[in-house]
Amino acid sequence: MEKMNDKLQNTAKELLESKEVNLIIGFAKGSNPLRMRSVFITDPKDAYKISFNAHCVQDLAVFLKKPEVKKFGKIGIVVKGCDEKAVNTLIQEYQLSRDNIKIIGVECRGAIKQNLADRGEDSVKQSTVYDKCLACEVHTPLLYDYLVESDEPAFEITGDVKPYAKIEELDAMSVEDRNMFWQKEFEKCIKCYACRQACPLCYCTRCIVEKNTPQWIETNIEETGNAQWNMIRAYHLSGRCIGCGECERACPVNIPLMLVNEKMARDVFEKFGYKSGLDINAKPVFGTFDANDFNEFIK
Amino acid sequence: MARIGVFVCWCGSNIAGTVDVKRVAEEAAKIPGVVEAVDYKYMCSDPGQNTLRKMIKDKNLTGVVLAACSPHMHENTFRKAAVKEGLNPYFIEIANIREQVSWVHEDKEKATAKAIDLLKMMVEKVKRNKPIEDVRVPLTKKALVVGGGISGIQAALDIANGGVEVILVEKEPSIGGKMIQLDETFPTLDCSSCIMTPKMVEVYQHPNIKLYTYSELEDVSGYIGNFNVKIKKKARSIVEKDCTGCGDCWNACPMHKNVKSEFNVNLSERTAIYVPFPQAVPLIPVIDRSVCLHYKKGGKCQKCYDACGPKCIDFDLQDEIIEEKVGAIVAATGYDLMENSLYGEYGYGQFKDVISGLQFERLLSASGPTEGVVKRPSDGKTPETIVFIQCVGSRDPEKGVPYCSKVCCMYTAKHAKLFAHKVHGSQSYVFYIDIRATSKGYEEFVRSTMENDGAIYLRGRVSKIYEDNGKLIVKGADTLSGNQVEIAADMVVLATGVIPKKGSDKIAQMLGISYDKYGFYTESHPKLRPAESSTAGIYLAGMAQGPRDIPESVVSGSAAASKILGLFSKSEYEVEGTIASVNKTTCVGCFYCKRVCAYSAISKEEVKDRNGNVLKVVANVNSGLCAGCGACVNACFSKSIDLKGYLDEQIFAEIKSLAV
Repeated sequence: MEKMNDKLQNTAKELLESKEVNLIIGFAKGSNPLRMRSVFITDPKDAYKISFNAHCVQDLAVFLKKPEVKKFGKIGIVVKGCDEKAVNTLIQEYQLSRDNIKIIGVECRGAIKQNLADRGEDSVKQSTVYDKCLACEVHTPLLYDYLVESDEPAFEITGDVKPYAKIEELDAMSVEDRNMFWQKEFEKCIKCYACRQACPLCYCTRCIVEKNTPQWIETNIEETGNAQWNMIRAYHLSGRCIGCGECERACPVNIPLMLVNEKMARDVFEKFGYKSGLDINAKPVFGTFDANDFNEFIK
Repeated sequence: MARIGVFVCWCGSNIAGTVDVKRVAEEAAKIPGVVEAVDYKYMCSDPGQNTLRKMIKDKNLTGVVLAACSPHMHENTFRKAAVKEGLNPYFIEIANIREQVSWVHEDKEKATAKAIDLLKMMVEKVKRNKPIEDVRVPLTKKALVVGGGISGIQAALDIANGGVEVILVEKEPSIGGKMIQLDETFPTLDCSSCIMTPKMVEVYQHPNIKLYTYSELEDVSGYIGNFNVKIKKKARSIVEKDCTGCGDCWNACPMHKNVKSEFNVNLSERTAIYVPFPQAVPLIPVIDRSVCLHYKKGGKCQKCYDACGPKCIDFDLQDEIIEEKVGAIVAATGYDLMENSLYGEYGYGQFKDVISGLQFERLLSASGPTEGVVKRPSDGKTPETIVFIQCVGSRDPEKGVPYCSKVCCMYTAKHAKLFAHKVHGSQSYVFYIDIRATSKGYEEFVRSTMENDGAIYLRGRVSKIYEDNGKLIVKGADTLSGNQVEIAADMVVLATGVIPKKGSDKIAQMLGISYDKYGFYTESHPKLRPAESSTAGIYLAGMAQGPRDIPESVVSGSAAASKILGLFSKSEYEVEGTIASVNKTTCVGCFYCKRVCAYSAISKEEVKDRNGNVLKVVANVNSGLCAGCGACVNACFSKSIDLKGYLDEQIFAEIKSLAV
């Protein structure tokens, strides 16, 4: 880890000193050793604060949508492979210019679930990492300006691993049962919109839930409005969600939002052969008008 | 406060027979905001419109709902009536209780209830209407015609004669299209090139027509009145202004007998530098670089250059992109014939004397490979017996296309007739499914081929053709007599089905017009707007729309021209104001709208502060291009786009009105 941190800190320092960027967003040690937090560095002297380990869970790309960050212009960001896909999507959707971002990619071996870390877990294992890490295809980020290699070995995967196994269980249910399942989950929703705030791709300045002429989504906390909010959010992320899992992590009432997002991602891949966040020049799947569509009606 | 007037139309018994119009009016009167609701026998009649106008005036209406026929029928009628009383035309709403209620339901009780529901929705909608102004766009009074066949030529000439500049683009080295390949034309047997060449020359000499041959459409952007087109003028390798068309170059070309002539449908050969036919317009040769020795052998051969008096051959000429701005476009891309090879049982390609109808035209033609003497391709002998097979590919959903190619019945009759005229004592057999001869003089023409020229018509299909001792043995069924027939023929002519020109789909995509599942361009309305495409400012002509004969192609060319001259007679063009508009405050510039817009109507716009600093980039709708389809409205995550006349708020109110 020390070697990684040295390289991270040096890269950050150089970037700031040479004024190639005005701000570096990275991870720093938090209040307890098994919690990492975000850090915003503008002074090269502070670069020593940046570090990385298996507790760096947060998707820092979420800050790129914030006006108080945007005003810095040229920004450097420390990202894991999964988070980097969010950067790609932001570029793809014109929210970020490739010229204004320096991507410091870190090779990630998996992030330890925070609830376990809070109880002292400090080793990266099949049983301790997030579901997204089990199916991770981007331990090394797809796009970067600087790469910080990991000096840790990859964790071993044994047996038949099924990330988000609940999805198959839900698929097998009758429509009524599935509906019941989600109704129960959404019942818990308190409309705090933490899912939206934590999401790097929820960048609308006026969210649909805030539109009141007409009122698309009931804002009070009740069955219809709760389902509307969560489903509309899922639709808005289908074909876009890069699976960082921040919404689920932010949810104070533990709604398993990643089951919806992951299900949507799987459907999009199955129907359209598209995976989000892989290519900054790709046409987003739901923003594509193509005369070669397999559906005859479009021609 | 809304003051809505409701009018329930009987449409005679069309509506009133199935819907209790009195009750609909009574129920309408109870809806909050409705000041008066009446029923009337024919709202579209003069007295009907006067009732409408009188109520607008007397009751000071702020909105009107008509429960009547489809808005496609009389929306305009009522809008105009409203405008006369000073009401914005978009405050007229129509609940369609004819096509959507009375014509599709039988139960009067339920139909009436549905009519009331539809009416309620429209009342709630019209309460939330906002005045909309139509959009005026300037017009560039210049037209582009794509395709130099007979329909394109006719369109170009009519537009040019109307005093408007025309650009005519033709892919081949000469204009003339398929018609110039034909021999004599049914039903009057006038020689095709005799009636076609004067028109071709007229195009060439017309001061208002700019002709680009050997050129293709490369790109089209813009909208009605304001199209920007890019034309690729392929390198001809000839300096056109210096060429006299003397022919010294192609006579000097060593590549004679090596390349199949496209014009003679592979029945003769041409040189590498060539004009497709002697009356080509323009009479300027082109070098086919794919076969020319100069290009293939590193510049060694330059016999044409040596032979050329004015030295107008330039081997180094490059393709050129020409940009033009036009206000209207005619798509007249024409047709191709289906591949005969689809029908293995007919032996096309296998037996030299099984040929297509278009090849037979060339054999009949005085300018053809045999100078008009009918000779078979295999040994040059004059055939005495010819079997003609109709519907090869047409009306055959299994192997070909389900539609009728329309011209084959007539040209086959013509072929049989001309064959009888040219080879005395010869015999024709025609296998057919039905004879379709429905225009002026057509039925008489076919009859005369049978009765005066002795062609034997057999109703049935051919199952097999094989060669035996220099003859083609044609086996088929005569379904009228119920007998199997076997004919020993010298030649077989296949009346192959018509399909859209290869590449016409690409042109359609460039132009943003729609086409059917076969690839034929679709009209804006099949009966009432047959010359218009689905996109404003783009018109259709000729076989690109579907099979048709020469007179129909000429008519369609003229129709497209008259539409364009009509369009250009005004100083500006008015577009319906029901277009998308962007809330620039809430737009975050993700441009999903731009990606899904089929009309390229959305562009990026920078929002700046007073010092000129860019605050953000947002979507902007080009009002001339927007067709009001609403795709962008759907794509917008933050609901920052609304469609004027169909605001989200209005749609919500409509749906809510149905809640019980």
